[in-house]
Amino acid sequence: MTLSLDLFGSLFLHELSLWWVILPSIALGFVVGAIPGFSAANTIIILLPLTLTMDVEVGLAFMVALYCSSRMGAGIPAILVNIPGTAGAAATPLDGYPMAKAGRGQQALAISFVASTVGGLLTTILSIFIMPWLAEVSYHMHSVEMIVVMLFGISLIASIAARDTLKGLIAGFFGLMIGLIGTDHVYATPRGTFGLLELYDGVPLIPALVGLFAVSEAFMIIEQRSILTDKGLEVLRAAGWSATIEGVAIALKRWWHITWTGMVGLVIGVIPGAGAAIASFVAYQQSRSFSKTPELYGTGHPEGLIAPESANNGVTAGTLIPMFILGIPGGATAAVMLVVLQYQGVNIGPTLFDQRPEIGYGVFIIMAVTYLLMMLTVLPLARYMPRVTMVRTVYLAPLIISFTLVGSFVPRDYVFDMFLGLLFGVIGYIGRRTGYHVAAMLIGVILGPMLEQYFLRAMKMADGNLMVLFSSNIGNALWVALVVSVMLPFALEYKRNRHRAADTA
Amino acid sequence: MTEATATQRNDDRPIGGELIIPVAGLLFTGYYFTTIIDSPWTAQVSAVFVGSVLVVLSLIFIVKAAAMVRRGEADFGMRGVFNDTDIETGRHWLLLLTIAYILAVEWGGFTITTFVFLMASMLVLNKGRRPAFIAILAAAFAFGGYAVFIFAFDVRFPIGPFERLMRWLMA
Repeated sequence: MTLSLDLFGSLFLHELSLWWVILPSIALGFVVGAIPGFSAANTIIILLPLTLTMDVEVGLAFMVALYCSSRMGAGIPAILVNIPGTAGAAATPLDGYPMAKAGRGQQALAISFVASTVGGLLTTILSIFIMPWLAEVSYHMHSVEMIVVMLFGISLIASIAARDTLKGLIAGFFGLMIGLIGTDHVYATPRGTFGLLELYDGVPLIPALVGLFAVSEAFMIIEQRSILTDKGLEVLRAAGWSATIEGVAIALKRWWHITWTGMVGLVIGVIPGAGAAIASFVAYQQSRSFSKTPELYGTGHPEGLIAPESANNGVTAGTLIPMFILGIPGGATAAVMLVVLQYQGVNIGPTLFDQRPEIGYGVFIIMAVTYLLMMLTVLPLARYMPRVTMVRTVYLAPLIISFTLVGSFVPRDYVFDMFLGLLFGVIGYIGRRTGYHVAAMLIGVILGPMLEQYFLRAMKMADGNLMVLFSSNIGNALWVALVVSVMLPFALEYKRNRHRAADTA
Repeated sequence: MTEATATQRNDDRPIGGELIIPVAGLLFTGYYFTTIIDSPWTAQVSAVFVGSVLVVLSLIFIVKAAAMVRRGEADFGMRGVFNDTDIETGRHWLLLLTIAYILAVEWGGFTITTFVFLMASMLVLNKGRRPAFIAILAAAFAFGGYAVFIFAFDVRFPIGPFERLMRWLMA
């Protein structure tokens, strides 16, 4: 069955009637997304007994709304207090937090909300129409292609390092080295684990995220009265609804930026195992590469905030496409959804769209409805949430430390992970004090193990022949794109300098 | 040391702190290499590449730092990382309390340990001012955290006597 306008309209009205389950799920998603250690997947698992008793469409509405809103929720603490709720929001504080510190938290949240909802909505609508072609992408993305995709993200280290190349690269490679702790992916040989069994699976992501960003930040901010600078405090006190509206306008003016970075997220989301962290780093790096003002990135530049937020919401629709068409979940939350759907007797595959369009297409319509409802409900949050940045640091810092460290405990139930969070906190604190960028370190920790996994897989299949890296047409096209995107900022800078020189002459 | 020399010392870039991460990188890479010597190539290949680059970068930084010290532009001081503000702000106490919190949370459970940690650290950072307000704040967050995460959502938080008592009371 093809998606006619009639079917689309009736499905839309039907899913809209599920607002009573979508709205509470949005609220819950915000909360679980904002707290490190929690995720939409965990929450759906925790609430599985409830989900399984629901009617299949209601259950889907609950899961999808929770999934979408948790992505946006993860960006809120990332912007306000430099704590990304999930790895997918790890690139958000790069420009969001400097805005919050300057008292422009309202604008930053409004930009993030608009980028998330518009990016998510556009990619969802697009998914409905180009689903079969997008599903093909996951067929063609093998280890070699994934290596290049990972390198797109890792090349962000070089961009971050631009301000102090040597320190930036040291931080990035130190992160990559930490990311290599654990057993290797082929023979499971333990490496660099200090004999600790807890590290055999590698360095867990949440303690690294929590430590490098939240704990180190908590130890830094106690020198100030609040997170805000003195000028920032004045700006925030004087800000009214106009600041929120200004943020909306800033974001909407960059609609094309939202669109293409969302598309980056959508395509990466389709690839099983890739996920929001890669998408947001790749989108940020690409956004910076093509920007006319790359030097503003990292200082509170709206485009540096739009790129990761739009991309990680683009991932949401992307991860569901291979699940519904091929039965391969694109991520952890999609995998949990698959289990629920199978329990409910729903047969996943291309026939689903003919036999049960209310589920096949319905899930994407629910997603669109969720984003529309989010647009209407979240903007008031942008008005009042930045007040948290006015809280005195003597109260805020201990709260950040205790709740984020306990968040490190949650995924694996290990007190060890809390110590690991503190250790990363100390490393992050020293890094911040001495000019080593913690984001560069985190990129290494997150993407390093994934890169190694795909690299080893490719090498194993090619009997150690390095030329396998250049053996596929798609891979080669991606290599060219990678080289172009790395070289482009230098070329643009050269061109700008020449123009400047010509103007002054 | 004369006063002028001491002032000069304080004006120099304290590069000792900046060496912590490169030196840690070097030591960790050295240790890492010892763990993969007898491993199959699959376990070695990525680490040898990444580790070698890290070693080269760290050595370049260390040589540059030594040259700066030699030229009198920097010293090996650690003022960039450890200084008087640690004592003024109570940062070192916060670190010790955090370590104690992690050690205690396993047997003390989330609620009680978090309450004690929040109360103690807020009092230390606030130089003992507003104890009643801090007690209410710490209790609200610790017991609120219990109500939301453990009671309502049954999240795997560290369990201790309080959580066990509540479970027993509600059984």
